[in-house]
Amino acid sequence: MDSLMYNLKNASTTVQALAVTAGGLIGVFATLAAFFLIIWLSVKLGGKKA
Amino acid sequence: MYVVGAILIWLAIKKEYEPMLLLPIGFGAILVNLPLSVVWEHEGSAGFLKVLYDGGIANELFPILIFIAVGAMIDFGPLFKNPFMIFFGAAAQFGIFATMIIATLLGFDLKQAASIGIIGAADGPTAIYVANKFAKDLLGPISVAAYSYMALVPLIQPPVIKLLTSKKERRIHMVYHESGVPKWLKISFPIVVTMISGFVAPISVPLVGSLMFGNLIRESGVLERLSQTAQNELAYLITLLLGITIGSSMRADKFLNVNTLMILGMGLVAFVFDTAGGVLFAKMINLFLPHDKKINPMIGACGISAFPMSGRVIQKMAAEEEKGNIILMHAIGSNVSGQLGSIIAGGMVLALVPLLVG
Repeated sequence: MDSLMYNLKNASTTVQALAVTAGGLIGVFATLAAFFLIIWLSVKLGGKKA
Repeated sequence: MYVVGAILIWLAIKKEYEPMLLLPIGFGAILVNLPLSVVWEHEGSAGFLKVLYDGGIANELFPILIFIAVGAMIDFGPLFKNPFMIFFGAAAQFGIFATMIIATLLGFDLKQAASIGIIGAADGPTAIYVANKFAKDLLGPISVAAYSYMALVPLIQPPVIKLLTSKKERRIHMVYHESGVPKWLKISFPIVVTMISGFVAPISVPLVGSLMFGNLIRESGVLERLSQTAQNELAYLITLLLGITIGSSMRADKFLNVNTLMILGMGLVAFVFDTAGGVLFAKMINLFLPHDKKINPMIGACGISAFPMSGRVIQKMAAEEEKGNIILMHAIGSNVSGQLGSIIAGGMVLALVPLLVG
C-alpha cells in the first residue's frame, strides 16, 4: 500500500486523476450501496407504515 | 467583463436560465469591474462584496447554508419506494471523473482538474465548496459554468439520451408500486446517512451534514416553521448573497483568459458524460433483468443532481415517445439519489486528491 501511494504521488497528473477516478467511483458506489441496504432492509423489515 | 455581466443578466431575464443566480452573478461581475473596484477594496478598506466574500465564500458558509435549505426541500419518499434508483445517483457522477481526467490532459494540475470536474456534480454549492478549497482563482468560471449548465439540462440531456438509446428502449414502461414509507425511516435516514458519510469520508460531513440537517427538520414533523423558513427565506436570502458574491470573483484579470473558455467547454463535457454514464449504466443493468422488469434507460440520466429539472425532462421525453408512459416517480427517485451522489462524490474528491498532492 505504501509503495502504491509512493508511486502515485510521483506519477503524472493524469495517472493521479485516473487513481482518484477509480477510488472516487468505488467510494460513491460503495457508500450509496450502504444507503441502499439500509433503505431496503428498513422497508422490508420495518413494516409499519406512516 | 461588462459584456459578460450583461449576457448573464440577459440569459436570466430573457431566457430565464437560473435567473435567481445568473442575474446577481452578472450584476456582481459588472460591479466589481467598475473603476477603482470600490465594492471590493478601496484605500485599504474592504468593500461590501469583499466582506461578503470573506464571510460567506472563503469560509464556505454560504454553500453550507444553501445545503440546509436544499435538504429541507428534498422528499426522499420516491427513493424509499424504489431504492434501487440510488445506484443511478452514483453512475451519473461519471462526468465528474471523466472531466477531471480531460482537464489534466489539458494542462491543469490535479486540484484545479478536480474542481473543474465537480461542475459535473450538477450541484452549484458542491462546485463552489470544492473550488474554494482547491482552486480559488477558478471559482468564478466554475460557478458560472455549474449554474449555466444546470439551467441548460433540458437542452443538453435529450440529444445525448437519444444518441445512446433506441426508440424501443425509450418506450419501456416501469410499474410503480404505491406504498407507504415508515415515518421512522424518513427520520432516521438523514441521521444514518450523515454518520456513514462521516466514517467513509469525514471531510464530506459539512456538505452531507448540512443537507441532512435540513432534511431532518423537514421530516421531523414538529418543526414546520423552521422547515418553511429554510425552504423559503433562508434559501432566497443566501441565494441572493451567494450570486452577487460569486459575481464579485469575476474580476477581468482573473476571468478573461483561455482557462475560462476551457472550463466552460469542460463543464458541458461533464454534463454530457454524466448523462451518458447514467444511461449506459441502466442499459448494462437491463442485460441482467427479465423482459418484464427492464428499466427505461432514460431514468439513468436523472442520476445527476439537477433536481427536479432532470426528472421532469425525462418524464417529458417518455411522454413524447409514447403518450401515457409515466415514469416520473422513478425519475424523481433517481434524481434525489443524484443529490446524495453528488455530495458523496464531492467528499471523495476532497478526501482523495490531498492524499496524492498534499
